[in-house]
Amino acid sequence: MEYKTTLTTCTYCGCGCNLYLESLDGKLTRTIPCKTSPVNEGKLCIKGWNVHQFVQSDKRLKKPLVRKDGELVEVEWDEAVAFTADRLKTIHGKTGGDSIGFFASAKVTNEENFLMQKFARAGVGTNNVDHCARL
Amino acid sequence: MIDQIKAHVATLLRDKKIAGFLGLIEKNGHVAPHLFRDADALDGFCLGDRHAAGDARYPLNKTLGTIARAYPDDTFGVLVRGCDERGLYGLFRLNQLDKKRVVPVGLGCPGDLALACECKKPFPDSLVAGDQTPAPAPAQVADMENNDLAERFDFWTGQFLKCVKCYGCRDVCPMCFCKECSLECEDLITKGDLPVEIPVFHLTRAMHMADRCVDCGLCDEACPSDIPLRLLYKKTAGIMDTEFGFTSGLNKNERSPLSQMGPSK
Amino acid sequence: MTVLSQMLEFTGIEKERLRARWVSSAEAPEFVEEVNDFINTLTPLGPSPLKATLPAGKDEKAETA
Repeated sequence: MEYKTTLTTCTYCGCGCNLYLESLDGKLTRTIPCKTSPVNEGKLCIKGWNVHQFVQSDKRLKKPLVRKDGELVEVEWDEAVAFTADRLKTIHGKTGGDSIGFFASAKVTNEENFLMQKFARAGVGTNNVDHCARL
Repeated sequence: MIDQIKAHVATLLRDKKIAGFLGLIEKNGHVAPHLFRDADALDGFCLGDRHAAGDARYPLNKTLGTIARAYPDDTFGVLVRGCDERGLYGLFRLNQLDKKRVVPVGLGCPGDLALACECKKPFPDSLVAGDQTPAPAPAQVADMENNDLAERFDFWTGQFLKCVKCYGCRDVCPMCFCKECSLECEDLITKGDLPVEIPVFHLTRAMHMADRCVDCGLCDEACPSDIPLRLLYKKTAGIMDTEFGFTSGLNKNERSPLSQMGPSK
Repeated sequence: MTVLSQMLEFTGIEKERLRARWVSSAEAPEFVEEVNDFINTLTPLGPSPLKATLPAGKDEKAETA
């Protein structure tokens, strides 16, 4: 019998609502908004309330997918990264940095997002940077 | 006050009367629900009084339901205020919890909290610590009714329009447990559409809670749009009292008038 | 019914707008009388204030509902 509440931050957008992921014997059971959080004061939106669901969802992607012959195929990370780097290099060489766009995520940390835009601007030479939390 | 409860819980755990005590803990600088299993490890136990009395309460009965379903043969203790204990009585009545397997550990609320809540019974029967504050006289519903029909319409329409349909009022509610929720019935409520159907969405929930709501106020606190849901449910509860003489959770062995067949009054 | 009509009144909607009656399919005159009576109640009340709260395009649905 192991009941736990894990204090964490909602991954859905950049607001950063604090919530507890409630788990019983290692399985997530519920999301509870953190009452004492100065960010969300015990409130959540519909996405936040259901944030525990995608973790254990069967539909969750656990491996990268690469399109081969028109079909998405599960591949190892090494292959996916090599493929992406290869294509980026080819496109960059052919038509320049501005033919590449970078789409960041609110589900990752500030530091990772910083790295990504740095890579886009300093590495590839484009300002085509956007993110999923343009709410 | 907190020491009285700690000592009481420690005894219950030591005597093996309960397999665990569901209460609140102060950790990482925040208040969280916690299952205490060891009589010698009650450090951090708190009452949910952060800046004011009862401002960091959690729906412990809901969590108790989750744990009790996984461990139906074990008995658990749970921290209750007056409203939480009324909720327990309701959950016993609705067969969501087994009263032989729950040991409420009661905490009485101070006068100012009881007044802010307009609580019907600010202290539980199973009082271990805290005051036996008498129930304050209610005024909020009457204040609203002093407005005329058009004013009330404007007020509530304005409030309902703010709703973002987060379903937080349902998700936080310790008395909500239906597997199929009428708020997700697409004949009544359009999925993913805003603004909500006025007043269908909110009155559907108010009606559904008529014989359940124990006026704990967690929905009010969880609402990101600050809709005075509690006032709405207070009115529903008031009608149940005047029409049927029923107040959810006031008596241990209550029966709901809505589950009895017969001619209407 | 008892509860809902009072809740409607509390939220600013005339409780006369809500009515539930049990009329058998064999009782046509009772049905006619009931509907006529309901119409006579509703006409002086005028259109529902709720109509104004509906976003454009939803009016149609409300009328047919």
